[in-house]
Amino acid sequence: MKRAFFIITLITIISGLYSYSILEKETGNFIGNLDPHSTAMGSAVGAGGFRLLDSMVNPANLTSLENGFGFQGTGGFLIDSDNRSLPMYNSFDAYSGDAVYASNVNTFADFAGGIYYKRAISDFELAASLQYRPQVSFKANYFEQVRNNWNSNDNGYPLKIAQNSIESKGGINAFAYQTAFKYKNIGSLGLEVAQLTGDSEMESSVIWTPEAQDIMNDTLNDTINTLEREFSGFRFKVGMNFHLSPRFDLSLSIAPDMKLDVTGDKDGVDVETAVFVYTKFDSMGTALDSLTYAQYIFPMNARIGFSYKPRNIMRTVMNCDVEYIKWSDTNPLYEDAINCFIGVEHILKNSIPFRFGFNYTTSYGLHEDSGFVFVNEITTPTFTAGTGFTFLEKFTFDISLEYSNRQYETLDLFMDNYYWRDGEYEDLWNLHYDENGNIDSPIIQDRGWENPDTVNETFINLKSAISFTW
Amino acid sequence: MKKLLFISLLIMLIISIAKAKIDLNTVTLHELKTQLPITEKQAGDIYDYRFYNSFFQSIYQLREIKSIDQKTLNLLKPLVSISHFDEKDESAKRRDDIYYLIERLGSSEGLQEGMSDIWEDYLISPRNINKLAFSDILNFPNTSPLDVAAILNRVAVGDSISSYRDLRKSPGISYYGAKNLQHYVYYKEQPDVRDLYFDYQMKYNDSPYGDTEKEMYLESMIRYAYGSPAIKNKSYWGYFNMESDRASMMNKLRMRYKNQFKAGFIYETPKGSTPIFDSNSKTLFEDGKYYVGYENNLELLGDNFIKVYAGNFRATFGEGLVMENTDSYSPRKTGYGFNKRITGIIGDISRTQEYALRGIALDWKRNNMNAVFFLSSDKKDAVVYDSNENGELDDDDYILGYINMTNRFSNDELGEAETFFNEYAGNQNQVRIAPRLDALQEDIIGSHFEYSPFIGTHIGFTGYEARYDREFVVPEGDELKEILIADDYHFNKWKITDNEITNMYSTISDDYGDRDYRRVVGFDWRTVLNNTSIQGEYAELEKDGSLGKIGDDPSALLISSYTQYDNLYLLTIYRDYDLDFDNPYHRSFSESERYDDTVFEKLTYGLNNTLLNDMYNNSAQPSAEKGVYFETRYQFHTMLTLTKAYLDIWERKSDARRGVRAEVKLEFKPIHQLRFRIRHKHQVKRYDDEMERGKSQADETELKFITYLSNYDKLQLGYIYARVLQPPYLSILSNPAEPGAADMAQAQTLTDGDMIYLDYTHNFNKNLKVIGAFAMWYANGASFWDFEDIELDFDHSDRGFKTWLNIHSRIANNVYLSLKYKYKQFLTRELEFRDYNEIPEEGEYYFQRVEREENIVRLQLDWKF
Repeated sequence: MKRAFFIITLITIISGLYSYSILEKETGNFIGNLDPHSTAMGSAVGAGGFRLLDSMVNPANLTSLENGFGFQGTGGFLIDSDNRSLPMYNSFDAYSGDAVYASNVNTFADFAGGIYYKRAISDFELAASLQYRPQVSFKANYFEQVRNNWNSNDNGYPLKIAQNSIESKGGINAFAYQTAFKYKNIGSLGLEVAQLTGDSEMESSVIWTPEAQDIMNDTLNDTINTLEREFSGFRFKVGMNFHLSPRFDLSLSIAPDMKLDVTGDKDGVDVETAVFVYTKFDSMGTALDSLTYAQYIFPMNARIGFSYKPRNIMRTVMNCDVEYIKWSDTNPLYEDAINCFIGVEHILKNSIPFRFGFNYTTSYGLHEDSGFVFVNEITTPTFTAGTGFTFLEKFTFDISLEYSNRQYETLDLFMDNYYWRDGEYEDLWNLHYDENGNIDSPIIQDRGWENPDTVNETFINLKSAISFTW
Repeated sequence: MKKLLFISLLIMLIISIAKAKIDLNTVTLHELKTQLPITEKQAGDIYDYRFYNSFFQSIYQLREIKSIDQKTLNLLKPLVSISHFDEKDESAKRRDDIYYLIERLGSSEGLQEGMSDIWEDYLISPRNINKLAFSDILNFPNTSPLDVAAILNRVAVGDSISSYRDLRKSPGISYYGAKNLQHYVYYKEQPDVRDLYFDYQMKYNDSPYGDTEKEMYLESMIRYAYGSPAIKNKSYWGYFNMESDRASMMNKLRMRYKNQFKAGFIYETPKGSTPIFDSNSKTLFEDGKYYVGYENNLELLGDNFIKVYAGNFRATFGEGLVMENTDSYSPRKTGYGFNKRITGIIGDISRTQEYALRGIALDWKRNNMNAVFFLSSDKKDAVVYDSNENGELDDDDYILGYINMTNRFSNDELGEAETFFNEYAGNQNQVRIAPRLDALQEDIIGSHFEYSPFIGTHIGFTGYEARYDREFVVPEGDELKEILIADDYHFNKWKITDNEITNMYSTISDDYGDRDYRRVVGFDWRTVLNNTSIQGEYAELEKDGSLGKIGDDPSALLISSYTQYDNLYLLTIYRDYDLDFDNPYHRSFSESERYDDTVFEKLTYGLNNTLLNDMYNNSAQPSAEKGVYFETRYQFHTMLTLTKAYLDIWERKSDARRGVRAEVKLEFKPIHQLRFRIRHKHQVKRYDDEMERGKSQADETELKFITYLSNYDKLQLGYIYARVLQPPYLSILSNPAEPGAADMAQAQTLTDGDMIYLDYTHNFNKNLKVIGAFAMWYANGASFWDFEDIELDFDHSDRGFKTWLNIHSRIANNVYLSLKYKYKQFLTRELEFRDYNEIPEEGEYYFQRVEREENIVRLQLDWKF
């Protein structure tokens, strides 16, 4: 929907759920890192993890923890600001910029935790941990109103025509068991086995307003699309750290691709047969292959990184990771991507750490228009900073702030002709006519890729954690 | 004797006691644990402090270790000693000492374009001041010809400069000249530095396209196909989905063995292009730049200094009239101070792409002679038009000129986009001119010969011939307009300033027939008389005249004089460039770049292909102009300095428009920590004709207050007020936009705007610096340049604000990281224009949020090893 001068939409939603962008409402948002210590350092933690949840990135990081028993609990609070705009045109009908038509702001909270035990035996150090954490989030919210451009109902047109929303809930959680050992000061090897379970529910709806129903004599039918799925499966990850010198550590971690078992239905159709997206066409445009909603795959992921500890008047650590994600595992339309992470920790006076970092990651958006599938590659740069302190001797508190912004083009979430129905619903609109009696405005038609939306999303993510070692 | 014996015994006793103490800078972890009355943790912390923080300079540093309290320190005091110990090698130490200079060079890299690398090499491995040639010393930053002559005059009489203090005593050398030079040279003994160096640099920058470039891409390519749908991909911006263009990334690696063997490689993926990960070895070398070079003194029948470079190289001679191959244009490039040019041959891994030279170059200096030969063979991007009128842009078509493209779309991509636009455009608006990648094979042979009869004086000759595999032809008369301009409705926008286009170089002419080359020759000179240096260059582009005859071809002339006193300098530059002196490698002093005010700049919306706007946007050649420029600096008093004042009076050749521009910067420093700066700029274009409607006047005043706090922290507060008086825009105020067609009274338009900014620099210590800034403006049509730490930003539009944070971290002695985040938001004037254009017709629109937001991250990592 949204044609320049007849629709106005809203606004601001505050929800109490952990959520991401509706861009990933079907595929979910893969959660890469939960520890605020390393998050503050750009999530570059392959080789320099000193908190329990850093082993999520590389299980070998477990051996960097202090001997004994310990735990970590972490909580995240995130604000996602989603501004959707449509293209504007100048008097030459040339695109000249975008105007925001809908703003959504969602806030979220999330939690994870784990325990570990580590001890030294002869030349070996052995560690094991149990963690419970979110692995994928499907939670996303979107809300917009379809309005006439008339400011009252006195003229017989409904002020508000319909209310559109997308509500997506659920996630895949991991119950992970990790073990790692370190030999002398040479290197360490870690393994993670994670049991993944979860569910997701998504509802996309267009609800006509009572005012619109009045005009149309209650003939308008609401549309509600649903997708409900349950997920289960396992995922493995192997990680290695090589202690090349007191100043330099190298790491490598690999997680093979893993297909989850998925049950559920899409609008009453079993997800095994409900097509999510067509992925292959012949020259006549006939679909040859497709992905169903039941095909849910974690892509193969390999990460190499280093940690450098130079001599510096402030104790300093610099971490740098490069991650390869084989996105083509999940969807043949995607290309594999390389993500980069870099972070620094300086210990300032009075042992106060100052951490900052940067990363850029690649994700994909899928759009279907008239039987054709479009794939958007979207890069997201993220700026991070954070600090922490120790209290009661054995407790450590870390806090981090991430700021990301991404911009991409996408198709209208709810196409305009739905509210016009090729003229069938013209009574809903405040129309203008030219001298020949033809409708001059608004011209209500779907916007395809010729006139896509521009989405500007900003994520502010505040994470904090308490760690304890006994 | 007894006394002597007693002292000897005492010394031995002290030594023996001292020897018994544990030296914290050499003690092992095991010794710390076993030989001192401290816990194992404390021993480990002391060891870690030494390993990860710093060697001990004082025993009191132990208190910086968390586990060492005062009681433990008192306990350790009699048991430990601190020896002078530093593991850093001399190179690392030197880098440590001059880090602030390296940082300063890095911050001005954008202006110097590749030169900072050369200067940094000499900072680390300085050169012997007593063995340098004139041009070698002059190539160091901020040295004047008079400083160089002062040094060489001493060396020539057998004297040698033995120290910085001695250097300062050289008659005629300026305080700033000597001070700037001191770290780039050595006097007696070469510092004991390493021989082999590697420098790696990575830059990630996701700054958006500049406003001018963005507007170019946004302009519709099918605007005259009335009734065509309003779709986003009618423009290059929409067609290529440039909103989602990737950030630019640069990777650069340099290697140097002493100052003799040098090699470098750069691969830059500008905004919107394929990242390095997707490159293969072929594209890496085709699109990357690289060089290997050798420089050395050779004792071969006397003293010879030889430089040989293969790969990409920079060639700069004289005042840049004949040859200075860079893509970047900077106005008022005087060749002095911060606007210096490094003359001669150097390896080139700058971001220059279009005017890069690739081949081999030899620079040979012997006694008072210098000879340079260079060969280059490279493909260049060019503007191609459908000269054979077959409806396609193919290899048989003529070339209009070189073009430095903002986004180097591939030829296939451009072709597909043009086909798409043509489908809508209708017959009369088909794309008939467009840039093409690597459309032109350019083979250059060039040389420079210089003879110096005595110190400070030389005469040089430079020339090059560029051979092409395609013809440059600038159509004549209306044919040119028909090719460049989309619709004859806009033919009346073709103005006299477009002479710069009609006077572009053609290889085919009625005067000289058909040729496949361009030749430019010239000579330059310099002489130093007392405290004045006079220099200049004259060049000709061969057209229908004779190569050896002066005055029968399009020419360019620049003469300058520089007079230097202790607290004062005076610089005067006279230049005169012919309109048809179209030398693509011309980079000398000018007020504006070529094609300023032509249809390439002003008529983007009316061009057949909006991408031609890049001819102006990225033009590196100076505009054809004639004028005189004065510049001075004077320190009235230690508290009051005229930091820079200049006056330029010039005439643009294309339309004889005269302009004057003056700027004065004054600094008042009542105490060292407090500085007040005032800057005023005044510019009038067409000052000679009060009645001319094209007259415009701009004034800008800036007040700045700076206070230096402890630990080099700095707080800066500034205010800028700009005022522009310009001619009325008939196209906005009335239609049609034709002279005399105004249907309402016209008046001059006054716009004024202001900006306030605040920035704060906090040094946590010498290795960590954070700079935060905030600025807001109400430009109201005016615009401001704002210097943001290490880069310039251009702020205009209606109202806006920005804030940025830059973290400079010195990770280790040889690893530097800089991370900048900027958020900028401003209102566009789109609403007003929409209102003017009566869109929507009812005057009702709901899109109040038409501001633009920019989130910019800039990351730079330097690793020197």
